[in-house]
Amino acid sequence: MSTTQRILPKGVSEADFDAALARFREILGADSVLTESDQLAPYTKIMMAGDDADYIPSAALLPTTTEQVQGIVRTCNEYKVPIWTISTGKNLGYGSAAPGETGQVMLDMHRMNRILDVDAEVYTALLEPGVTYQQLYDHIKEHDLKLWLDPPAPSAIAGPVGNTLDRGVGYTPYGEHFMFQCGMEVVLANGEVVRTGMGGIENSSSWQVFKWGYGPYIDGLFTQSNYGIVTKMGLWLMPEPPAYRPFLIQYQDPEDIEEIVDVLRPLRIAQIIPNAVVIVHTLWDAGTHVVRKHYYEGSDSIPREAIERIKADEGIGEWNVYAALYGTPEQIEVNWKIVEQAFGASGKAKIMYGEEAEKRGGGFEYRSALMKGDMNLQEFGLYNWRGGGGSMWFAPVSQAKGSETKDQTELAQRILGKYGFDYVAEYIVGWRDMHHVIDLLYNRQDPEETQRAHDCFAELIDEFAKRGYGLYRTNTEFMEQVAGTFGEPLREVHRTLKNALDPNGILSPGKSGIRS
Amino acid sequence: MHNTTTVPCRHLPSLRLMPLSLLAALLLPVAASAAPDSESDVRDPAEVYRQVCAHCHAPDKAVGPEITMAFPEAAHEARGNYIRMTVRNGRAAMPAFRQAKISDPELEALIQALVRGDLAAGAANEE
Repeated sequence: MSTTQRILPKGVSEADFDAALARFREILGADSVLTESDQLAPYTKIMMAGDDADYIPSAALLPTTTEQVQGIVRTCNEYKVPIWTISTGKNLGYGSAAPGETGQVMLDMHRMNRILDVDAEVYTALLEPGVTYQQLYDHIKEHDLKLWLDPPAPSAIAGPVGNTLDRGVGYTPYGEHFMFQCGMEVVLANGEVVRTGMGGIENSSSWQVFKWGYGPYIDGLFTQSNYGIVTKMGLWLMPEPPAYRPFLIQYQDPEDIEEIVDVLRPLRIAQIIPNAVVIVHTLWDAGTHVVRKHYYEGSDSIPREAIERIKADEGIGEWNVYAALYGTPEQIEVNWKIVEQAFGASGKAKIMYGEEAEKRGGGFEYRSALMKGDMNLQEFGLYNWRGGGGSMWFAPVSQAKGSETKDQTELAQRILGKYGFDYVAEYIVGWRDMHHVIDLLYNRQDPEETQRAHDCFAELIDEFAKRGYGLYRTNTEFMEQVAGTFGEPLREVHRTLKNALDPNGILSPGKSGIRS
Repeated sequence: MHNTTTVPCRHLPSLRLMPLSLLAALLLPVAASAAPDSESDVRDPAEVYRQVCAHCHAPDKAVGPEITMAFPEAAHEARGNYIRMTVRNGRAAMPAFRQAKISDPELEALIQALVRGDLAAGAANEE
């Protein structure tokens, strides 16, 4: 007789869970209700420093239609079964395809993968949550449409809906994804369907072109939240420009980050440089294609001497700015002169594009692909830097001011050094803000190192918050802690909304620290 | 210009068994074409490899190890088991890929193509 204990949703009896599963099978068909351990194994793989036992689902549901999702949430309400929603499930380092906590039922939206509309006159798309960037990219190529996508680093295997709903970013001028979202269809916890923006008007032709609709704008409520299940989402696509010039600017001193940000800010705000520029530190730029042990075998933080050897051997700067110009050739020439003049003033920068940039040892080739919306996963070479499959993105927001950037860099390096980890980081530059993205890489096969990574991440959150720096996004292990840094009044509003929209707390309990 | 499609939605349930409410859901404001049959919805191994695997396992990327080399026939079963386990469970930095991403029939066909070396560079030219 098996002594294995069955995983059940928290607070749900075995009888009720079996009744709910039977109902799910009626709604979806038996093949789309997964309960066997080998079927559920892919939903347990995590990269963050949490305990594997805390992230095991009790079942997975694979709907293909909005109506099926409505039926699922009605059943969940009846039996108080909590579901955790994923789309393509490739939020690597943020929780991947695992549930928020053990026992939750996975609502896996990947099979809702229809491209419902692509409009090449107003440059919009309407998608289901399971559509991947690769699928949309192939569709655009197949139909010879002059449109560019804006994928994040996992590009091909991730999808626009999930990434936008988690407020992810890419690298083209459309890099701030939620800014380019327009209209949603959402299944609420009570099973009702609401279309946001202009979508409530029958036969509206402006659902994907006018974001605000009428009355309170609510799309933001369905991002990084658990107030509803998005079953369709509109987004804006970038017209392919007549010309494109990716370029690289390298600086060699750690302190140069201050100058880079202060020179870059006015160019970004004025849209001379229109894309989501990245300022990449040596270890990130090398880590996408170089293995750490080639330069340093120690288990402590990589020393300055090794960083200098990497810079010299690989042709990488301390800071490497990847950006691009878009437009007509004439526009690009004008803007290129402005860029050269601005960055050339101090004499510290090495400014290059084309063959010269390609010959440098960093990530110019793959960065050039991402900045024009091509599919490329080279960035995940980072996972080979230290090895062992541990990764957590620590991503505080900063102002685009050099002094602040210098402060954040020094603080992160001090805390990471204390725990023996490397500063593998980049800044992604918005208009006035920046995401300071640090990949806390560790060996997840080593329990001691995993615990150390956990403690390090927790300290980073607290110490950054003490200086007024909050995170733009985090993994499921630390959602509660990060929510705490934003203060009780905001959390109370989140709770009030949750209680109103989902009183039984069936939708992704714990997402962003929000529960009924 | 509108460009509308229903895509490779290879998992749509059979129309014959579909309740009317679900059928209605498919008749969206944007013209949706008929659901493709299940046979044609299974992507062939080269397509799965291109869409999912090649971005990391291609030799010029070197994010993941090369996996397209042929194995001796005697090792096909063992190698196939290893690939299946790695795809479904993940391994270190390799993510896990679930049924919803690569269906069981697709995975089995992919495994056969990989162990035979069908997806190795230049394999198509040798036929």
